[in-house]
Amino acid sequence: MGIVELTDVKKTYLLGKVEVPAVKGVTFCIEKGDFISIAGPSGSGKTTILNMVGLVDQPSDGEVYIDGKPTSKLKDAELTRLRHETLGFIFQSFNLIPVLNVWENIEFPLLLGRTRVSKAEKDEWIDHLIEEVGLADWRKHKPNELSGGQRQRVAIARALATRPQIVLADEPTANLDSATGEQIIELMKRINRELQTTFIFSTHDAKIVDIADHIIRLKDGLITENLRRGENAEGSCSPAQGAAKPALATEA
Amino acid sequence: MKTTANIAFRNLSRQKKRSFLLGGAIAFGVMIVTLINGFAGAFSANVSENFSHLLAGHVFISGAEKNGDKELSVIRDDAALSAAVRQAGIAPKYLTRRSEFSGTLIFEGKKIRTNVAGVELATEDYLRERLVLKEGSWDNAADPRALILSEKIAERLNVEVGDRLLVQMQTVNGQNNVGEFRLAGISYDAGIFGQLLSYAGLEYVNELLGLKSGEYQTMGIMLDSLKSAEPSADKLYAGLSASVSMFARGERDESGAQTPFQALMREQNKEDWEGVRYRLFTINELLSQIEQIVAALDTAAGVILVVLFIIIMVGIANTFSMVMFERIREIGTMRAMGVQRSGVRQMFLFEALFLAIGGAVAGIAAALLVMGGLSLINFGMDSPAFLILKNGHLSFYLPPLRAMGNIAIIALLTLLAVARPAGAAARLEPAVALRTQK
Repeated sequence: MGIVELTDVKKTYLLGKVEVPAVKGVTFCIEKGDFISIAGPSGSGKTTILNMVGLVDQPSDGEVYIDGKPTSKLKDAELTRLRHETLGFIFQSFNLIPVLNVWENIEFPLLLGRTRVSKAEKDEWIDHLIEEVGLADWRKHKPNELSGGQRQRVAIARALATRPQIVLADEPTANLDSATGEQIIELMKRINRELQTTFIFSTHDAKIVDIADHIIRLKDGLITENLRRGENAEGSCSPAQGAAKPALATEA
Repeated sequence: MKTTANIAFRNLSRQKKRSFLLGGAIAFGVMIVTLINGFAGAFSANVSENFSHLLAGHVFISGAEKNGDKELSVIRDDAALSAAVRQAGIAPKYLTRRSEFSGTLIFEGKKIRTNVAGVELATEDYLRERLVLKEGSWDNAADPRALILSEKIAERLNVEVGDRLLVQMQTVNGQNNVGEFRLAGISYDAGIFGQLLSYAGLEYVNELLGLKSGEYQTMGIMLDSLKSAEPSADKLYAGLSASVSMFARGERDESGAQTPFQALMREQNKEDWEGVRYRLFTINELLSQIEQIVAALDTAAGVILVVLFIIIMVGIANTFSMVMFERIREIGTMRAMGVQRSGVRQMFLFEALFLAIGGAVAGIAAALLVMGGLSLINFGMDSPAFLILKNGHLSFYLPPLRAMGNIAIIALLTLLAVARPAGAAARLEPAVALRTQK
């Protein structure tokens, strides 16, 4: 079983009295340590799927499994706790907390939830993350004093603060110039390799798609391609729930 | 909770102008209410203290003599009463002895009815301090038939210092009597209360009342402060009861009496007794209606507090609804990272609480500054409002509990005002918040 599994997941939004299907039934499996890209044109359902995997939105039908646990019956507080313990988020617009400086933004997730670590251990970890994302000289700066690339680096460090198993990134390079975007991609890939953190992107960016070892392409709320490649081509997710077959099934 | 409180505190500085205006509105409201509370707090003490000087005492003992149906208001045995007072274990600053009648003053065909208090004009220093003369001088008071009138009464009689006035009155036995005063001084009008009394020498008033020299009707006991009036009265009553015959002390009852003093008099009239008795009462009992004025002032302050703050709270509720919309993506981000609904609610409530407490404390500080400034102004002892002044200055007293109560009320009202937008922020679905375009 993969770290994330979706089985026949559908999502319909109600716009006034009109039901608009955003995701029409998708099934796929993601393995631990994957660097996976969910690609597709605007309106194909990328962000909706990412939101459901990130437990910030609930499917209208189907089931999302995180680390083998079904999530549809969980209460809001339990979902919130699971998000905090398992997931990290990187947003297109960075979404840093404006009143907190770099160090405090990264610290913020560590102050939530029930798990407590010693101050020394916490500080050492935050310093390490700041070094990793190359912002050692900017730790006391507020977000509005940083460039877009620097902000996204802070967002990456923040997403990793709780040592999550999965990091979700919604078009993380969309608001960056191409050079900065490449640096960010390289940074995430390095962290993926070093920490074995699973990265799931929704993206238009061909560069991310190129280096992803698992690509899911969407169109009109359906999977059109579910492709593994490189070292992870085989995968270990069950064929019934996993990679290639369900993609074909959803296409059908 | 510490984290949400920290963010809430910093959020206040994000929109400095807005926070300043909201906090300023709260501060202004609290300042007005605190000023009223401070004035009301000192009003009662000032009026009572000033009256205690005009009436020459904080605690009073009046004597009554009854023989059959006939009752006289008189204290004949001063030595025995003074000894009893000394032995009661209280520490009076000084004792005063006064007689008083209600009569008609007549001058060149003009008449006015007034109370005339017979006082020891030569020795009552406190009366001289409080009663500032507009015309004439206290030296004239050495005249045995000296009379001091208030400005208004003198004006209505069209009388000048040195003029001779007739008085028609009754003796303690109920016989009509006529006397003649010489106007020694005209005092500044001490407001509505000050007009009630005119002052003359005790010896001559006694003569007019049919009392002998050395006799009088009321002993006034001046204490260190108004605060000691009630405990001293209790002690004195217990002490006097052991040596002389005392009327029971009156309490306000259902008989229609407006003051405890009136109740005391009604109760005593019902009793069947003979001989000499004394009644004891305090300045607070005489002026218990002052308490009603203070209660009215406090009620007005309370109403202003509520009305003002309902208006301010509507503004705060609307502002926080806007704030919620401004920070909607931020709320979504926090929820995504693992902040529970209660955490979001707390953040808004903390922000409101800091705003309320900051505003309220600033309001109280501003009120204290205004009070300090106002109390520096010397209105003088001749001010028409001298009865509510303390040594000619406005004075304020803000009970600490009242100030803290005001802060608590403001904090509670602000939290109530913000509860709705805070609840709406907490109920936001993270996905909805994250995809909302501002």
